[in-house]
Amino acid sequence: MEFLIVAFAATLIYLSAAHRFRVFARFMGVQGVLIFGIAFLELNEMATANLILVVAETLLFKGIIVPFMLFYIIRRTQVFKVHTQAMPSFYILILNAISLIVSVIIAYTLQNPFINMVFMTVALYALLSGLIIIVTHKLIISHLIGFLIIENAVFLFTIALGNEMPALINIAMLLDIFVGVLIMGFFGMRLKPDTGELTQLKD
Amino acid sequence: MMTIVFILAAAMLFPGIIVRSKSVFAGRKGPGLFQPLKDVALLFQKGNVISTTTSAVFKMAPSIGLASVLSATLVLPFGPFPALVSFNGDIVFFAYMLAMGKFFLIIAALDTGSAFEGMGANREALYSMLTEPAFFILIGTLAMLTGYSSFNEILVGLYNPHNSYILIYSILSVIILAQIMQVENSRLPVDDPKTHLELTMIHEVMILDYSGFDKALIHITSWLKFALYSTLIFDVLIPVQWSTGIQFGLFALVVVLLAIYIGFIESFKARNKIGRNPAFLFTLSSLALLAFVVVLILTEKMILL
Repeated sequence: MEFLIVAFAATLIYLSAAHRFRVFARFMGVQGVLIFGIAFLELNEMATANLILVVAETLLFKGIIVPFMLFYIIRRTQVFKVHTQAMPSFYILILNAISLIVSVIIAYTLQNPFINMVFMTVALYALLSGLIIIVTHKLIISHLIGFLIIENAVFLFTIALGNEMPALINIAMLLDIFVGVLIMGFFGMRLKPDTGELTQLKD
Repeated sequence: MMTIVFILAAAMLFPGIIVRSKSVFAGRKGPGLFQPLKDVALLFQKGNVISTTTSAVFKMAPSIGLASVLSATLVLPFGPFPALVSFNGDIVFFAYMLAMGKFFLIIAALDTGSAFEGMGANREALYSMLTEPAFFILIGTLAMLTGYSSFNEILVGLYNPHNSYILIYSILSVIILAQIMQVENSRLPVDDPKTHLELTMIHEVMILDYSGFDKALIHITSWLKFALYSTLIFDVLIPVQWSTGIQFGLFALVVVLLAIYIGFIESFKARNKIGRNPAFLFTLSSLALLAFVVVLILTEKMILL
């Protein structure tokens, strides 16, 4: 199971260095499948009906529907690359590596016997990686990807405590509904992927 | 001694397998498995043409490059067979022997006075600098995991059947070392050995002034590096406790698979833009850092005051 968590963390490194939205969409699908595997292996003490709901939600929503929607948005908006970043990818990767070190320090500081340390570290790392993607990219699709990563991080936190507090996972799944609405904003409401510079405003 | 024999055998076959796999992927008949060896034999028969602007550094660099890689081979064990030379800290010796060969090739490129070769030397130095942290974090993690700083002892102490994290570490090591091998040998996606435009060259532009015997030495050095990294990948992947016959078979398999992997990448992947290479190389260090952090947590060796 630790292998899946480490693979999840490795996807965060590649997401930080990615330049193409197709890569983002593909890795979001990979993360969904990995979270499905983690949930399936970790939540062995959960009620069967609830477990089915959780694994179906992770595999269907995170692993299939979200990447499909992202691919659709990319095709419709014809925005394929991250054209505008606040800083070069190299510095984003350095920030990302620093966030990994910060995560392990925080996880050790907050450690308790109920939470797996690797879970805690990778969840915190995912949270910080999502935030770094949001603050270093300028296109709104990148912000959406950053938010999806943060949402996966929250889900990882809840899986870490899932056997002790099953209700927490259901609360985390409510966040998926919010993400669904956000993606549907691009999907149905035809939001523009690029807000551009606010230079044409008048008083 | 077995290590050296196997590394030399792997080095002779490695470029041929790359060439063969590339021609198979492209649907061509292509050259034979031993064509690179024939090319080098031909180069050995030719005389050197040396520019009058160069000094002794230029003449020495290929020999020093080959000698440094052969020296690095001495400290590397092969499965159950210990290294010919072993001492505490030989992991650092290994890394810096490879770095020394590269250093001499870089100053030899600068020695020619060619602007193109200076540019290639600059790029090569940058990429070496960026892959070094990945290698040292990876090797440092091995040393931390086992408590030893010599390849022989590390590989014996590495495999404990009760530690599940060894598998995680081994897989991450293979991914990182395979990519370092590509960078160190100037292959795709960082560099393209077949490019004809000097402006986009990295390693090839550095050796433009070499010909005949010296160029053959440079090719052999590159093959040896392939074999060296293949052996290192084999060592971290396959437990030393397995029987010798299986080790031989698996070593051959690892070498062939790595050569096919490089042929596959060179057939289907485009080269990175030059500006994207630093970020690509830093992902290796990040992955090594991840391996380090995971091993740190799982072995419970982290102490915070």
